[in-house]
Amino acid sequence: MNEKQVHKFVNRYLDATECSILEKSPVHFTVKLSPVADRELTNRPYYWSFVDRVGAEPETMTFLFVTDKNRYDAIEEEKSRKARAPLPDPEEAAQDAAANAALGRSLGFLHGSLAAPARVPREDLYFGARRLDQLFDAAKAKGSFVYLFQEPEKRSIDPFSSTPYTAWLGVNIRVEFACDRKREEIHCYGVSLATGQCVEQFHDRLLTRKLTPRLPANIHVTKNGITYNKALGIVEQTLERRLRGYDYGWAEDASARLREELERIGSYYEPLIQNAPEENKPQIEEQYAQRQAEIRWQYEPRVTASAINCGIFHLEGID
Amino acid sequence: MSQPTTPQAGQAQSGSASVTRKLHPLVDLQCDRAWFDELQNRLARGGPWDDWTLYQLTMEAEQAKRIESFEQLLCLRSLPSFEPMPHQISTARKVVHEMGGRAILADEVGLGKTIEAGLVLKEYIVRGLAKRVLILVPASLVLQWVRELNQKFGIPAVAQKKEHSWGYDVVVASIDTAKRDPHRDIVLGSDYDLIIIDEAHKLKNKKTTNYQFANLLRKKYCLLLTATPIQNDLDELYNLITLLKPGQLGGQSEFAANFVVDKRLPKNEDQLQEALSSVMIRNRRGDGGIHFTRRFVKNVPLALSDEEKALYDAVTGFVKERYEESGGDLSSMLSLVTLQREVCSSRDAVFLTLVNLFKKTAEDSPVRPKIWELVEKIKNIKANTKAEKAMELVKQFGEKVIIFTEYRATQEYLLQFFQQHNMIAVPYRGGMNRGKKDWMMDLFRGRAQVLIATEAGGEGINLQFCHHMINFDLPWNPMRVEQRIGRVHRLGQTEDVKIYNLCTLGTIEEHIVNLLHEKINLFELVIGELDHILERFENGEGTLEQKLAKMLLEAGSDTALKERLGELGSSLSRIRSEVRTGQNPYAPAPAPDLLVKMDKLGQSVEVRP
Repeated sequence: MNEKQVHKFVNRYLDATECSILEKSPVHFTVKLSPVADRELTNRPYYWSFVDRVGAEPETMTFLFVTDKNRYDAIEEEKSRKARAPLPDPEEAAQDAAANAALGRSLGFLHGSLAAPARVPREDLYFGARRLDQLFDAAKAKGSFVYLFQEPEKRSIDPFSSTPYTAWLGVNIRVEFACDRKREEIHCYGVSLATGQCVEQFHDRLLTRKLTPRLPANIHVTKNGITYNKALGIVEQTLERRLRGYDYGWAEDASARLREELERIGSYYEPLIQNAPEENKPQIEEQYAQRQAEIRWQYEPRVTASAINCGIFHLEGID
Repeated sequence: MSQPTTPQAGQAQSGSASVTRKLHPLVDLQCDRAWFDELQNRLARGGPWDDWTLYQLTMEAEQAKRIESFEQLLCLRSLPSFEPMPHQISTARKVVHEMGGRAILADEVGLGKTIEAGLVLKEYIVRGLAKRVLILVPASLVLQWVRELNQKFGIPAVAQKKEHSWGYDVVVASIDTAKRDPHRDIVLGSDYDLIIIDEAHKLKNKKTTNYQFANLLRKKYCLLLTATPIQNDLDELYNLITLLKPGQLGGQSEFAANFVVDKRLPKNEDQLQEALSSVMIRNRRGDGGIHFTRRFVKNVPLALSDEEKALYDAVTGFVKERYEESGGDLSSMLSLVTLQREVCSSRDAVFLTLVNLFKKTAEDSPVRPKIWELVEKIKNIKANTKAEKAMELVKQFGEKVIIFTEYRATQEYLLQFFQQHNMIAVPYRGGMNRGKKDWMMDLFRGRAQVLIATEAGGEGINLQFCHHMINFDLPWNPMRVEQRIGRVHRLGQTEDVKIYNLCTLGTIEEHIVNLLHEKINLFELVIGELDHILERFENGEGTLEQKLAKMLLEAGSDTALKERLGELGSSLSRIRSEVRTGQNPYAPAPAPDLLVKMDKLGQSVEVRP
């Protein structure tokens, strides 16, 4: 993700969670979080449990999110240089200082200006930044399970006609190929609950439609022909068939490394156990077993599939 | 929906929440079904349903984070705040892609082992291969590691303070704490994805509790960091490797048979190097490639005041007398030599030692009145020549200055002295707890002009922002002098470093300064060079410090002392030139040179600040 993509991501997150953006430029946002976003991002569980229990009006936090640090800093620098350029009248400045000092004496320590707003914490958001990861997690927490309808493409002229819709089970799956190293793929499947047809790149298809959580007028959803469980089976089988065709050279290498490593520690521990006095044997054997388990943990090749998110999507047509 | 990385992960998940299918004779596909249960759950209850935009954003985030290939070093794209050096990147790459994540990082001092370890750690975190991480370091370095990992790498590392700290994912702790109850059981009961041990040469002896503790840790990946994987003999290296990869060099007896002639002399070096190359990386400085800023060293000769001189002479006489009485027994005399050195520092330092000596001496001993005589002489001293000179220098610089002294009493005196002259000076010493040390560092970085540190404070502090240093007195152990300088003169220092040695004429100090400065040229040595010189000089026959003390006690007259110090100096400068030219590199002490030979274990690095 480059700066632009981060900026766009943040913008859409703030919109989706109804945060109020106080100020924005192509490189930053000053934003007062909505309660939903505040709960996800500020890590204040005690505060929020207090608000919930007392029913008080929540005071959410305000942040400065900088999405392009270098450009933001350059712009700010420029601004402050311009601001400094016309020097204030020295006499006036001296008077101000004297007044502030006098106020300070009578009121105790005083900030530069009484009207100064509370400090707005700054967060630099870049790919890899912890705050951005938190934004990713926050999006996921509220973006995992959906139930949506396609908005009809054009409003039907006849108010009594009804467009047929099909329900789909859509799921985005992350597949991890791991040993001591790892790589990942993302597979997006959709299974028609009417016919059991399975479609790849289903997520891309969804992005071309307009979707809404509300049931549109003048539509009817075709009766499901298969159960959810059956649909799940179809997704897993399709995935399995696809993955079977892959090259597993990496796994063979990893298994060879695993074997090699097991032999190596065997060559160390087996004579050690043989020559050890009887009373020490159990201890060494335990350590040997532990080392073996560690090496399996480290090298054993495995493929895991887990869902990123999923939902039921009602799309136009009968498929 | 994320996968735990624990070793039981494979089995623990079976049941209704996941299902296993066979993909290949060697590989199973494990399908997680938790999402499906939750979906059905929500369908049955009619919601709640999530937002479509957030659904899309979640996918975008996952696509951005996806690990495309086994090979790339992905951490680099998420580290905008700094740029690692090429040798650090290639080291991290090698550890992750060729060594399976278990390695000894043995770069020479100052090439950034911490950065390399940080890169490896970040890479495993980014790839989701490491979550639970334990970093064991000397207590004095805990906060520095935490800071570095947080600031440079954006890794939320936490310093272990209380028992509950162990619950965090990335914990930095001192091994001495971790091995003690109640922490021990918690640590040994955890499966760590990655364990990093800094200053791992402290684990070279397998009889120590630290070694045994480290050997019990359960880990997937493991990094051992040390600049000196071999200090004395080859067994040390063997022990370190056994922590990482038992059997890599064969069993203990095979190792001895295959690779060791004498405990300090290896054989079959090519094979040994081959075996080491899959567990160890050692980058070295390129020849002449050290582009540190320069060091300027100036000795400041000072004449003692009459009263101080009188005290020095009296103490010297006293020490000689005791030595003759003891019939040449050295061990008990070493503490007496300290007295002489202390006179050169401050009267406060001598006074404290004398008082302690007085208390230890039997009441009817004839020595007691003699000690009192010395104390009387102390009373006559009204001013400290060195302190006045130090003050003059500090005023002259007008910038931050660090003053090192060997003695706590001198430190106290100087603090008071500077305070009286309206200068802000802060202390730093080994006995302070971590929080206080950090606080002192912040004060020095901020408004204090002077930091007064005792020797123990030398480890683990980085003072690149200061480039003036005064050695109020000098340790006799050159490594400790080097350590002092290393605090200031290191990567990141942008100014030339100015070092001033206060040196009282006509005392033992004059000889020492001469020896360290002229003969070893200590102050202008390349970092790391001194190790080699001393290793060879000492050759297992006692330290330079001990040899000096012995000489001092045995020499009858000043001229005899000068002569013997001269000899010592010449042998040091001979060794130095040998080390410099790399001549005769395998004898007489092969240990460090063995490492020098391990060229294939890393690369030569040109370092620029």
